[in-house]
Amino acid sequence: MTEPSNSVPTAQVLTPASSALEQSQPVTENSPQTLPIRDSKPTKPTGDAPASTDGTTDKPLSPAELKKKAKADKAARRIREKLDKEGGTIGSAIPTPGVGAQARSPTTPKKDAAGAGSAQKGPRPLTPRRGSGPLAQTGSVLVEQKKKKDDKKVAVFGHLYGQQRRVTVAGATKEVHHAILALGMQLMDYTICGSSARCVATLIAFKRVIESYTTPMGTSLARHLTTHLSYQITYLSTCRPLSISQGNAIRALKLFIAGIDPSTPETSAKISLCEYIDSFIREKITVADQVIADSAAQKVQDGDVIVTFAGSSIVKQTLLLAHNQGKRFRVSIIDSRPLFEGKSLARDLAKSGLDVQYSLVHAITHAVKDATKVFLGAHGMTSNGGLYSRVGTALVAMSAKERASGVEIPVIVCCETIKFTDRVALDSIVVNEIADANELLPLNTPVSLVVRDPADAYVPPPPENKKGGNRTPVPEPPVTPHKTSSSPLANWRNTPNLQLLNIMYDVTPAEYVDMVITEMGSLPPSAVPIVHRMVTNL
Amino acid sequence: MASTTSDAAVADTKPFDIVATYNELLRSDADLTMPIAAIEALVLLLTQSASSTISETLDLLEKSTAHLKRSIPNPIGLSAGTDLFQRYLITTLQRPGQLGPAGDFKAIRTHLLSNGRLFIRRAKESRDKIAAFGRGFIRDGSTILTNGGSRAVAALLQKAADEEGGPAVRFRVIYVLSSISQDCKQPNEEPEGMETVRALRAKGVPVSTIPESAVAYSLGKADMVIVGAEGVVENGGIVSRMGTYQIGLLAKAIGKPFYVVAESHKFVRLYPLGQYDLPIEQQVLEFKSEEDLEEERKQQSSVTKTDGDTSIKLPLCDSVDFTPPHLISALITDSGVLTPSAVSEELIKIWF
Repeated sequence: MTEPSNSVPTAQVLTPASSALEQSQPVTENSPQTLPIRDSKPTKPTGDAPASTDGTTDKPLSPAELKKKAKADKAARRIREKLDKEGGTIGSAIPTPGVGAQARSPTTPKKDAAGAGSAQKGPRPLTPRRGSGPLAQTGSVLVEQKKKKDDKKVAVFGHLYGQQRRVTVAGATKEVHHAILALGMQLMDYTICGSSARCVATLIAFKRVIESYTTPMGTSLARHLTTHLSYQITYLSTCRPLSISQGNAIRALKLFIAGIDPSTPETSAKISLCEYIDSFIREKITVADQVIADSAAQKVQDGDVIVTFAGSSIVKQTLLLAHNQGKRFRVSIIDSRPLFEGKSLARDLAKSGLDVQYSLVHAITHAVKDATKVFLGAHGMTSNGGLYSRVGTALVAMSAKERASGVEIPVIVCCETIKFTDRVALDSIVVNEIADANELLPLNTPVSLVVRDPADAYVPPPPENKKGGNRTPVPEPPVTPHKTSSSPLANWRNTPNLQLLNIMYDVTPAEYVDMVITEMGSLPPSAVPIVHRMVTNL
Repeated sequence: MASTTSDAAVADTKPFDIVATYNELLRSDADLTMPIAAIEALVLLLTQSASSTISETLDLLEKSTAHLKRSIPNPIGLSAGTDLFQRYLITTLQRPGQLGPAGDFKAIRTHLLSNGRLFIRRAKESRDKIAAFGRGFIRDGSTILTNGGSRAVAALLQKAADEEGGPAVRFRVIYVLSSISQDCKQPNEEPEGMETVRALRAKGVPVSTIPESAVAYSLGKADMVIVGAEGVVENGGIVSRMGTYQIGLLAKAIGKPFYVVAESHKFVRLYPLGQYDLPIEQQVLEFKSEEDLEEERKQQSSVTKTDGDTSIKLPLCDSVDFTPPHLISALITDSGVLTPSAVSEELIKIWF
């Protein structure tokens, strides 16, 4: 498992594949003659399609029994994987499934470094990447300090640490298609970020999986393809937990696959599947976005000052459309660390000629002062009307609603119905996503921004509060022109009593949202469950 | 029925004038609400027109609806009716069977027209239904504050007052009389709602009439507020006679329940974000300095009043405001007593 850091990714794929073969030996009670389904890994729990359980068992089992067996298989496989990893590198302590995930990172420093090395080969956008620098640093961490590791979990969010995100393609089963491997890398380092983008990318990757898929002997496409897709889904969810939109899209796709007549010839079934995916993307995202942008742009009026948080693609589309319609308004973008999604939005809007003000979330009170409307994107909308979105959104919405004097500022959410979920979120603790805490270290900030350039010397000290036009201020006050690695928090894993929390989402309560613009029309947040029911029943 | 009188009125003017018909309908029948008048006008239009295909019918409908909306200064109420009718037409035409796109258009047309009439009759009955639903809200010894000239509220109050022999419910009414609406009426004309006040007094209900400025003062004595609405918008807020919003705010501040009485055909596909987001132009806030006033006086003296483009602007006495849903305790409608958030559910049911 310890490849040299410059090994090609394919080599990394091969190793886990062969290890998967070895692993699969104890679980061969299912149809020994067909190779690809020998490792009877169950579907992800998110899939609820009836055909998701393994259809190739010898004796007929009830769905409940099948599920139980699948669960047991999965647990066994997980423990084996853990054992392999632990045994391969240090050969100590049998970890329980819960601890094992956490214990993985210190034991595999070299592998992490390898993954980071391969990740850096791709085109490097401005987005911060996970696992490159910081994890390599953890290589110095001693194994004995594992006990301390557990203190590094923030207690309230302890349940979210369950599965550590994957950092390399290593360990992927052989069933995982290369398009999915590539997508996984893009998801884990935020190259593809944003609920809609992830959903579209996943569907397109699935299309490639389906195109290169051939039904094995003895099964039908309708029954086997869901299982095959489940491998891909499981892999993707280890790269980054699936978004609500991805989950909904996968559910719809599985339902469609299950509905394919088994007598349909494979080629035509595949063609109809690809057509289904295409029309799904078109209807649920592309056209939906246009409809939403159309009706949201109507809400933009001359003289508005529109506050938006982070970088939502649909908000960008709306603002550009309103601008092209000749409306004169200003945009105030609130951004936050560590992803800085608002930067590209600020650049794109300014390029198109809009008046843009960019500030970080700690300047929210200033930004809200002269705001007239708030436009927000969404990761999802929960059934109790809560807006589940990038962490910081709730702060912006609440600041807008609770402004001490003057009229209330309407908070408008633009959200496709594909992002609606039947789950309920009362707080942002129960359901959330924890990203690598190392992203919070200032390593993400490019050194060139921190080192003061003589030309920039005349920049006034508090750059966030500037109400001026198209200037993109320095995201952080340039304090130390040191090497970034000497950040005070760099060694946080070994600092006792210090915990870092990098949470991804928060929930904005329904009472802070005035309007949800969807492709089905504008709704109050209370109408989310009704529309969700309607959309899923169609 | 009002349609018979207007049928005759329209018959002689060959090119059918939807705006005139609409206004005529509203004038001829005091009990007619704006959405129903709009639907009735559209049904009359279809009776008159000689369209022979579905698309022709829909096209005609769309054009006249747009024309009607443009010509009426406050199209919020009537757009509820036109939207509903259009939606109803389309769903009927999409339905498979004899009346679907494959069927005989003649049959479809007669079916549509007869059903349109049925709809109008049902809508007129809805006020009685509302009164039945809302009766339970009015208890013995309670005091109710209301405003405006809503016929639904009047029906509800009167129903509560006269149940089988003598007032079954003993309640008092505080009637807020609008001062704005008096401005543009004839000096001897009584303010809106006086008719209801008289009717209630005749039934033995003690009524006190107060100006709008006394609402905060009087609310302490009231147990609840019941108001009517011109339109119920998608988020459950209401568009109503100017002054309703402030009563809602005061009721919320003092902690009195605020009920809205509205027929479900007044639900309109509109989502205002605030007072200034309504699709109408109101002449409420007019900032003027002495200079402007002088100029105005000069213009008035030089040019004698010609009713040109003034028609599209809403006169002050007909101005409306928007009461947001968080101020509303419940909506008493003919499909039951709804919370504001249930309005969007009802609307979605109609539209999808």
